[in-house]
Amino acid sequence: MTSSRLSKGGRIDRSKSIRFTFDGKAYSGHPGDTLASALLGNGITLFGRSFKYHRPRGVFAAGSDEPNALVTVLSGDVREPNVRATELEIFDGLVTQSQNRFPSLEHDFMAVNQLAGPLFSAGFYYKTFMGPAIGPLKGTRFWMFCERFIRRAAGLGKAGTAPDPDRYERMNAFCDVLVVGSGPAGLIAAEAAAATGARVIIAEERPLPGGSLLGSGEMIDGRNPAVWAREKADALANLPNVRFLTRTSVWGYYDGNVLTAVEHVSDYKPNRTKGMPRQRHWVIRSGKVILATGAFERPIVFPGNDCPGVMLADAVRRYAVEYSVAAGNNVTLFTNNDSAYDAARTLSIAGVNVIAIIDVRSDVSGTCRDIASVAGAELLLGHAVTATHAGKTLSSISVQHFNAETGRVSGAPREIKTDCLGVSGGWSPAIHLASQAGSKPEWDEDLQAFLPPEPNQNWVMTGSAAGYMDTISVMSDAATKGSAKARLILPPVEAPMLDSSPAPVFEIEPAVKSQKAFVDFQHDVTADDIRLAYREGFHSVEHLKRYTTLGMATDQGKTSNVPGLAIMADVRGISIPEAGTTRFRPPFTPVSLGALASERYGDLRPHRLTPMHDWHLANGAKTYEAGLWHRPMIYSSHGETIEQAYIREARAVRDSVGIVDVSTLGKIDIQGPDAPELLDRVYTNMFSTLPVGKARYGLMLREDGIAFDDGTTWRLGETQFLMTTTTANAGPVMQHLEYYLDCIWPELRVHLTSVTDVWAGSAISGPKSRAVLESCVTGSKVDNDTLPFMGIVHGKIANVPVMICRLSFSGELAYEVYCGAGYGAQVWEALLAAGKSFDIIPYGLEALGTLRIEKGHVTGAEIDGRTTAHDLHLDWMLSKKKPYIGSAMINREGLKDENRLSLVGLISLDNQSINGGSHIVTDPNPREPADSFGHVTAACYSPALGKYIALALVKHGTSMIGNRAFATDLLRDKHGAVEIVSHHMFDPEGSRMHG
Amino acid sequence: MAESQSPLGRTFIPGDHGNSAAGVGVTLLERKNLSIIQVTAWPDTIPTVLTAIGSATGLVLQNKPGLGRVAGEKSVFGFAPGRYFVVSATPDLESRLRSAISPELGTMVDLTHGRTVIRISGPRSEWILSKLFAIDFSEHAFPIAYGRATLHHDIHANIQRIDDETFDIYVFRTFARSFWQTLGHAAEEVGYRVE
Repeated sequence: MTSSRLSKGGRIDRSKSIRFTFDGKAYSGHPGDTLASALLGNGITLFGRSFKYHRPRGVFAAGSDEPNALVTVLSGDVREPNVRATELEIFDGLVTQSQNRFPSLEHDFMAVNQLAGPLFSAGFYYKTFMGPAIGPLKGTRFWMFCERFIRRAAGLGKAGTAPDPDRYERMNAFCDVLVVGSGPAGLIAAEAAAATGARVIIAEERPLPGGSLLGSGEMIDGRNPAVWAREKADALANLPNVRFLTRTSVWGYYDGNVLTAVEHVSDYKPNRTKGMPRQRHWVIRSGKVILATGAFERPIVFPGNDCPGVMLADAVRRYAVEYSVAAGNNVTLFTNNDSAYDAARTLSIAGVNVIAIIDVRSDVSGTCRDIASVAGAELLLGHAVTATHAGKTLSSISVQHFNAETGRVSGAPREIKTDCLGVSGGWSPAIHLASQAGSKPEWDEDLQAFLPPEPNQNWVMTGSAAGYMDTISVMSDAATKGSAKARLILPPVEAPMLDSSPAPVFEIEPAVKSQKAFVDFQHDVTADDIRLAYREGFHSVEHLKRYTTLGMATDQGKTSNVPGLAIMADVRGISIPEAGTTRFRPPFTPVSLGALASERYGDLRPHRLTPMHDWHLANGAKTYEAGLWHRPMIYSSHGETIEQAYIREARAVRDSVGIVDVSTLGKIDIQGPDAPELLDRVYTNMFSTLPVGKARYGLMLREDGIAFDDGTTWRLGETQFLMTTTTANAGPVMQHLEYYLDCIWPELRVHLTSVTDVWAGSAISGPKSRAVLESCVTGSKVDNDTLPFMGIVHGKIANVPVMICRLSFSGELAYEVYCGAGYGAQVWEALLAAGKSFDIIPYGLEALGTLRIEKGHVTGAEIDGRTTAHDLHLDWMLSKKKPYIGSAMINREGLKDENRLSLVGLISLDNQSINGGSHIVTDPNPREPADSFGHVTAACYSPALGKYIALALVKHGTSMIGNRAFATDLLRDKHGAVEIVSHHMFDPEGSRMHG
Repeated sequence: MAESQSPLGRTFIPGDHGNSAAGVGVTLLERKNLSIIQVTAWPDTIPTVLTAIGSATGLVLQNKPGLGRVAGEKSVFGFAPGRYFVVSATPDLESRLRSAISPELGTMVDLTHGRTVIRISGPRSEWILSKLFAIDFSEHAFPIAYGRATLHHDIHANIQRIDDETFDIYVFRTFARSFWQTLGHAAEEVGYRVE
């Protein structure tokens, strides 16, 4: 194969040169070139090595069906493997590399695999890498040992490990009509649809509209078809109701006419403007879909059909017409249908020397004969190619007599010198998207191809995708399917009259063959592999696919499916439709993970910030994530450790006063005449009796009697409550309530609104907390009479309206101060200023946790979806006067079992910290700690007690108090003696918070 | 009284950003000093509540899903059955609504502090919003003054169309900074101005 640039023609811009490299060597091309056309134009024919045998491979197709010419694109440390050279538009500075070879493409050591070819048949791995029954490599260990070597030897390109710096975006689009493809069918269908006023999106995977017209030798409306297509596309794109997307591959078809596509926004640009994505992932919701996806030419399977220089006939034509590249000096064509004659005609006009047409059919039409004659090509009817002769590229072919009726090869081979063989085995409509949509394809005897069936959603296929193979029929069909109401006047088409029916010949199998005949080039699947699969019992096409890997990998079998099925049908002695076909699945073309992730990279979640967040950061807070929230863990000063910081903070709260940001607590506004009734039903305790201006601690159970969430609910009016939830359960509690109101009790007149974001909350705790409030609150007293425990008052701080509730999580005299979130920072700072004379300090979640552990107050660590109110010693909250969610289940035998884990406290006896998650055991031996009878839920150092303490859930919890045990953490190698105590470890009488 | 603080903080940077060399595709601003009242009618009181909203604000609505009205700084739109945002720059909005809507007709929640209102305007506003929300922003599907409740990943948003190329986006205050940054990131491609 000696490819070269022709002296004229093509849609490349010869006035400009583009420099790029392939395997480290510099080449030049022109704007409009793909990497494949540019390399062919530079005389390069060897593009890569095959997947399994490391056979030399050249470019085979000219579009997304390319199985061979996959390259890696390098950009700094970033490498993108398996990019099709046939679609990669070159740009200045493009760096590319061939794949699956060592040390070089020309001299690949692993080509030795070809010698061991018979070993590498279908099922090679399954059969070979079963380990012995005994020994260090028994069973799958042998495979795991070998896998690393196999992965080095076989496969496609290697992915990089450097972070992808490119930008990807998602776009949501809606339209009345989506037209996939902008060949003659797509353009006409879109024109018809747009003429009715419908909102139309046209998606074209190539850089230019036109589809098959770009490489056509026909005339449309008296003009070059590519020019006609561009003018038509420009006119459409200028319509206000049309969006024309080029370089956009529609890759998925989902229920409800939702289609996904990737637009290559700037892959082809050496420089991108700020904010320009590399790729844009479109999710398109369309009322109607018109699939004008065209057809793929398929090869004929014959011995030696994979050497560089053997290509699809249409690809040879496209390189000549579109890119002005002659794929060979002496081109031969091998066909079972008329389309190769049109290719010969076009090639001849473009200046490519076609020396012979080998046709398996014994007779062809006069038109075909005339074309061969005009092109100066020898016509060999009733012949087939039975071998190729090549080093790293094709030099000649062997041709023998062939009987298309019997499939038999006869006679002596004749050798024809040729450096490029274009093969056409007929055309397969691109039904992939329709297949994804769920429709089972139907076999068409005339076309020897699968066609789309009756649509199961609002879609139609048109043009060659629907089996119309001449441009006149294509346009006529498209005009009707686009919209018959539009009554388009179609342009005249000048084209030779050719027959679209191929001879049913898929494979040439000479009696004696010395070369492999490949069906799937990308996965090195041969015709013999298919026969082997049959002999080993893999008859179903689904089994065939999985056993041989036929039709897998990046090309998804676009060129191999039908020939492979035909060979299986032949060996089974059944027809192709009886053998069936596999269902296509997304993606139609490979999709980068970046495009799928779109803008969700790096920080995958939004940050949720309280109104005081900036203050926290400015004042030394170390934060951590609690769900989406960012919350202060500690306020570090003077190089303190986390433990030193939280001990200091917790001690300050017990000694004087501290302030903590509790804005993250879930807050739900509950209003309506039936609000009290709703609360009585969802809480275990009574709320309808709660006076206005008072709060009450409440517990919710799940339907199965397990504890769900706790919090305080404030009665702000006769029919208005403010429910607080734990930070983590704000969403689930809201859903829980909405579900019951919407589905179970729709008769209740209650409205729910999440007001978590409305209120900023500051909890001020410690013996001096009242004094702090007294110094800054106006409009209300805060003394014990005015503001008793669980009381609520309204006043102002720094002239900002606030709502203050006296309640305590720390066990100290404490208040929660709520204000409008926009004033949160001002009120926070006003409280700090008021507390300055009392040495107020801000404290974080670690100190908050320490204070509550000392008090034995529960959180999500104990309300863990497995514990009951009884387990947590909250059974005093279970009303006996009313039913509530979960009440029917709380007395189940399993929930009353005395062996259940229940809440206790632990005190370290060795003055060592206790790890959260440690198991509670009785054995002092850290190596054999014996059975666990509980676990630690939370642990800390208690400044109030001067000891390391913990909360734990243990069997027979209360009766175990006073016993000694061990907290053991085998993962972190810690084992220490503890004493089991009441969970109320500090101020069990509650005198401090009630004081 | 102290001024209510924006949650956008240091991320609010006035000026031109992104690929603005060739022009500004959208302008972003935070609408401040608004009263945002959520009014919810009982299922059998929706027409009466709409009449009451009309009498309190002068913005008369019909009972149609998503329908809204805009008049200067005032606006109202529905985003769920019987549920409306009523927005005004006047501080007495809540009291006027309360005088018109009794608890028997419906309930009200003052969400002024709970929502941040970001206005996006300009010729590429539909394009930018379509990057973030899976709803149809074309004018025939989303007419002027109509409202929508939708979601950008984890961030809930209510959106009202103000004119052919202007939208008000109501996001939860605690998510506002994250959303603002996401919006700016999405707008870099077309160039954007922060006012």
